[in-house]
Formats: sequence, structure tokens, C-alpha cells
Amino acid sequence: MSATRTVAVRTRLTELRGTGLLRTLGLLALLIITAGFWIFFSAFATGFTSDFNLFFLLRSAAIAVTIGFAQMVVLSIGDMNLSVGAIGGATGMFAGWLMQVLGVPPALAVLLALALGTSLGFGNAALVVWTHLNSFIVTLATASLITGGMLILTRARPFSNLPDSFLGIAQIELGGVPVAPLVLIMLGVALVLGLVYRSTSLGREMLAIGANRQAARMSGLAVGRIVLVAHGLSGLLAALAGAMSVAANNTASPGIGSDWVLASFVAPAIGGTLLSGGLVSVSGTVLGGLLVATISSGLLLMNVSNFWLSVFLGAVLLLAVGLDRITRTVGGAAS
Amino acid sequence: MSTIAPARVVLEAAGIRKQFPGVVALDDVSLRLRSGEIQALVGENGAGKSTLIKILTGVYQPDAGSVTIDGAPVRFGSARDALKAGISVVHQEHNLIPQFTVAENILLERIPTRLPQLVDYAAIYREARPWMKTVGLDMPATRSVSALSAAQMQLVEIAKALSLQARILLLDEPTAAITPHETGYLFRVLRELRAQGVAVVFVSHKLEEVFELADRVTVLRDGRNTALDHEIKGLTQDQMVTYMIGRSDVLAQLPARPARGEPVLEVRDLATEAGARGITFSLHRGEILGLYGLVGAGRTELAKAIIGELKVTGGDVLVRGRSARIRDLRDALARHRIGYVSENRKEEGLILLHSVLTNMSITIWRRLRLFGQWIRRSSETAAVMPLVKQLDVRAHSLAQQVGTLSGGNQQKVSLGKWLAADVEILIIDEPTIGIDIKTKNALHELIWNLAANGKAIMVISSDMPEIVRLADRILIMRNHRLVGDISNSHDYEEVSAAIMSRLS
Repeated sequence: MSATRTVAVRTRLTELRGTGLLRTLGLLALLIITAGFWIFFSAFATGFTSDFNLFFLLRSAAIAVTIGFAQMVVLSIGDMNLSVGAIGGATGMFAGWLMQVLGVPPALAVLLALALGTSLGFGNAALVVWTHLNSFIVTLATASLITGGMLILTRARPFSNLPDSFLGIAQIELGGVPVAPLVLIMLGVALVLGLVYRSTSLGREMLAIGANRQAARMSGLAVGRIVLVAHGLSGLLAALAGAMSVAANNTASPGIGSDWVLASFVAPAIGGTLLSGGLVSVSGTVLGGLLVATISSGLLLMNVSNFWLSVFLGAVLLLAVGLDRITRTVGGAAS
Repeated sequence: MSTIAPARVVLEAAGIRKQFPGVVALDDVSLRLRSGEIQALVGENGAGKSTLIKILTGVYQPDAGSVTIDGAPVRFGSARDALKAGISVVHQEHNLIPQFTVAENILLERIPTRLPQLVDYAAIYREARPWMKTVGLDMPATRSVSALSAAQMQLVEIAKALSLQARILLLDEPTAAITPHETGYLFRVLRELRAQGVAVVFVSHKLEEVFELADRVTVLRDGRNTALDHEIKGLTQDQMVTYMIGRSDVLAQLPARPARGEPVLEVRDLATEAGARGITFSLHRGEILGLYGLVGAGRTELAKAIIGELKVTGGDVLVRGRSARIRDLRDALARHRIGYVSENRKEEGLILLHSVLTNMSITIWRRLRLFGQWIRRSSETAAVMPLVKQLDVRAHSLAQQVGTLSGGNQQKVSLGKWLAADVEILIIDEPTIGIDIKTKNALHELIWNLAANGKAIMVISSDMPEIVRLADRILIMRNHRLVGDISNSHDYEEVSAAIMSRLS
């Protein structure tokens, strides 16, 4: 009967996913789609393949992916962080102020900005753990607090006299070809995160509490501590994305981060990270960020209004939420 | 409604088959129900009663077989379809909204409104009152449901079902969580409804109630009918038990074990926030201690208080002779080597989305890691593989998602993570709920062998044959108090009688 067959097919699918094959197929599909857009834009968007454009495209992809990572780590524990943009903007401004006003060396300024981002993330976690409130509402509030505080302290004035040694991290030339060190930074982060989720106790613990917090707790995991680390990591990555944006724009401007929240969900969601927690894909997030940057760049070159990008991102996110639900249902279907 | 309709078959299920991955839950099962009749549906845990109820109410679709109402075949796509056909179910867990009033809950599906969307409160209270009267709910219709007792909530659910024109009422263990006095009242209401021509299916574990209330009985064992639409009159309790357990399936006596060792867990005059008072007992090395009680007696709450997951308000818990202030399960595991297998494996026991490997190694990640964080897949596999073999977990690989395993295999994984952690004290809450007889036997033997190897085990169960088979001593719990501590002779008739006498 058809009901039996449906059950059988569903079981089969989950078995495949269990062995990782389905997820590999998903990544492959994403790769093919991204490649398809590259071919399409190479043919129809004038200047898409120029060194100049590719440089900018990869650089913005690197930032988009890092923002996606900042969201992915909290998604992995089943939480979310609506303050990624606020943290990225505030820490970017903080780094700019340190360098321009106090003359702090760039390496130290970036380090301090990352520390600030991490502590803001810890703050989110502390509120989530202590108040038992949903991370959605907590980070919605802290996002407004952080951005407001930053605007008050800086009077919304950008810092645009940044030292060349700092701006250099956004662009170096190798044999006359511009390369973006930001891409290397992003890939380094991806490598580390990949190892964290694959082979460390912390990564396993984050996924476990993301998939079923109560079961993880009843297996002896220290849920509070793990939530703290995940949100701290999210703040750290948001601050890193902030510093990368400042370097790419040559300016620490108060507008950085204002449009990150949606994009932060889209990159991991396209890549197969479950928005409800418990399953992440680091390489998927990289491809997801790359796809968004590709489409954004291509549409720009084809003079298609940026509004279409907004429509695209919204649609993709809805689709990902739908898939998310199916995965969850199938995962828990056998009773 | 005043005329007594002649006994007419209103609902008939025939040849129902339902399969889940790895287990056939129902095989060629039938049920016949007449108007103005109370039909008991009995069987042990895992016999398939809940699955059958879910098929009759449209939650599951059968793989084979037919359901007919008033002789016409029906096919329910959802619970809503069944409701429309006049079938209502009252579950053990209440489906009420606690913050709403009694009247609002009764009329929840169709709140009367005045022009565009304003709720007509006068109409709500006016319409709800007759239904409240039918089930004998004597209280203001404006009372909040959160202020009601379990028995009263049940009556609200019945009133709600009746207000939806239910002609067929399915009650899933309605007496599990209510007092004998309230049970008597519920039965009066049900008899009243029977007189009005409502057809009632009554699911219960308590045979005395079945004999007291039901006209006919259908018995399931391991997903099959052992009695179909059998008249209660002339049936003895012994015959009923035979239908339920089946002589051929009576599990063999387990072999002798070494004598118990020193006490490892001592509970003294424990009081908990959940309501337990004066709980005193001890658990020894190499012992299986049974904790029997009905659903709602407070067994799980007691276990959770011992492992620090619920608040202790008085008394003392000693582990290996030392007073232990256990903060939470993490502390219980790390400091005291105590494990707890939850009765609720889908929500508390397992991470269904993750693999067999992850679910079994979760308790030992801390022990496995190198350089503070690193977990080598090979050492993880090496720790888990022997247990998978020992427990005979049927999975095609360690990477298989636990959610796709059968209930029995899930339970093995849920138990296995504590074996991986090599705990010394293991509290197992309902070890074989919803599990087929073969796996049940395997789990019993496993628990038996763990005790033989020196583990101290506490088994919480509401399955009397299970507790009589496994336990060395049986604690009996009722209304958050221990009301008995009996040494188990493993003679079912004798011990079950002793237990029952302490429950009434």
C-alpha cells in the first residue's frame, strides 16, 4: 500500500542521511547551483570575470561566510543570535576608535575588538541561561542595546583614518594579481570550525544540546556552560566579521552590521545547517555565503535592482525552514 | 437521547495492520463496538492498544485493514476527520489549555462569536453549562482549568468530546492518575453516557475496573487479538490474564544470582518538593530493587530527586556510606557514578536526530578526550562497539540515526550509554515500555546480568509481571509515600496479591 511505501522511502532517506550520503548530495547540488550561476553571469554579466570583480566578490563572500558562521554556532545549540550585526558594528567601531584616536597598533586593536565581541556574546548567553528566556527575544533586545550604546558613544561618526598596515589585510598583491587575505582568514576559521564540530568534545556537546537539550542534560552534559561557549564564539565571529568589514571598507562606519541578520541565517540555512539545532554544515555555510555573494555581484553587474536580492534571500530562507521541518519530522518519525 | 438504542454496531475495525520501522505494532487486529456499550480494550504495555487508538482517531493510517462507521467504510486522513465522524479520544495527558476557563476549554473548537470576531462570553458559559452538568462538573464555568484536579480535567475533556457530538468515546487509561473515589464517580458518568447510547472504549491496566465497568472486552497481546468482543459475563480474572500474558509467553525464571553486597545508595527520610515524604530505603551492590506504583504515584519524581534533578527539601541521600548532596545528573554521573534511564526515551533519553555512536558515547566524551578537547573516532568506536554487540543493538551501522531504530533498539541505546559510562548505580525507569516480548526478555536478562556483576539497580515499573520477575525486593509507592517493602518470592499470584493489598 502507498502508506507502507511512504514509510519505507522515508526510512531509506533518513538512513542515507545518517550515513552522510544525503548531506553530501545536498552539498554537491549546492556546488552545481553555484557553478551554474558563475557560468550564467560569466556569459551575461559584463565584467563578472574581471580580476577586479572576482577580487571583490570573494572578499564579500569571505565576510558573508564569517557572518554566517557567527549565526551557525548558535544555531548548532538550537539558539539564535539576532545581535550578530550589532556586535559586528560595535566592535568594528571600537577597533576603529582604538586605532585612530588612541593609536593602538592594529593587531592589538583587532584582538581587543574580538575580546569585546566575545564578552558581548557571553552577555547574551548569561541572559539566556539566567532568565530562561528565548534567545530570540534576548538577542533582539541586546542588539538594540549594543547598537544604541555604540551610536551614543561614537555620536555615529565614522573612523576613516585607519593605518595602512591594517587596511593591508583586506588586499595584498601577489605578482600583480590582487588577492584577498580575508578569504584566507575565512578559510582558516572554516577549517577550525570543521574540526571543532567533527572531532572535539565541545562540538559534539553543542550539537547534542541543539538536537535535544533535555536529553543532553539527562546524559550529564553541562548545558549552561556549553550555551555560554557557543554564544561567546558567536560574538567572537561576529567581531571578526566586523573587523573584516572595516578593513574592506577602509572605514569603521556605524552602518556596518545593520543588514547582517537575514544574511547570517541564509548562508548556514542554504548549506544544510538545521535552523532548529543539532546539525551543522561548515562547508555548506561556505558555499551558501559564496552563492549569496555571487548572486549579489552578478545582479549588480546586470543592473538588476538590489531589491531582487532581498526577495531572493527571503525566499531561500523560507525554503530552508521548510526543509528543516521535514528533516526534523523524518528524524523523529519512527516510533 | 432518552430512548435506549438497540445494540447496533457503530464502529468496526477489521484486519488492521500497522508496521513501524523494525516492528509490527498491529497484525490483523479487529475491534467491534456497539452503541450504548462499554468495551474494554486491555493488554500489556506495548501490546498495541495505543497504536489501535491512534488508528481509530486518524492519527495513524493503517497499512492494511478497514474501519467502518455505521457500516460505511471510512478512511481518516487526520484526527480532525475522526472528530467529524463523531469519534473523540480522552488521553492520559490532558489536551486542555490550563490558562483558559472550563467553559472555554469545552467549547474551544468553536468559540461562539458575535459579529465579526468578538467572543460571546455569555454564550460560552450558557452553552458549556449543560455539558458540565452531563458529566457532573459542579463548579463555576468560569473557573480556570489550572485549578482543577486530574479527575476534574478528565471530566472537562469528556464534556468537550460530548459537546462535539461524539457518539464514540475512547478513554485511554482514564483511571491511571486519579483516586479510587474519583474513579467511582467517573464510572457513574460513563454508565450514564452508556444509557444515552454513547459507545465507549475503555483502556485500562486494572482488571478489577474492567470487570466492574465493561460489558465486553477486546484483548491484545503483542499486536494481535487474543480475545475479540468477548462478553465479560462468565469470564474469570485468570482467563483474562491468560489472554493478556498467554501461558506460552510467560517468561522463564531467571537463574540464581550471587547474594547482594553492601549498601551503596541509602535514602533516609527523604522529602521532596514534588511531594514525597518520609522515603527511606537502601539499595545494595548486586541487588535489583523494584519500585512499583501506579502512574502518578510519584516514582519518577522520586528518582529525579535522588539524582538531583528535582528539589530535595529534607532527609538525606547517602552514596557508599557518605552523605551526598547531588546537584544534578551531571554531578550524579561524574562524582557518584549513578546513571538514570528515563522512561521517556524520545524526550529525555535519546537524541533521535543523532547517530547510535553519538548517543552511546555521550556520557564518556569527557573521559575520551585528548589535549582537553580532541575525540578520536577510533577510541570512541572501540568504547561503544563491544556494548552494541553485548546489547545486540540492531542497526546497520554505528552512524544510523537513532530515530530510525525500533523502540526496543532505542531502549538498548538509551541503556547502553550508562553501560559505556560504567556506572555503579543504575536507576531504570520503565525499562520495557512499548517493547515487544522478545526484546523485553533480552532486556530483563541484561539487567539481571548487570546485577550479577555487582551493579546496584533500581527498576521502576508499573508492569507487575516485570517487577515480579526482576526484583529482589519490591518497594510500593502510592501518593508519594512508600506503602510497602516486600521481599519478592517470584511467585506471581502471591506477590501480586500482596502488592495489590497495599495499593487499596
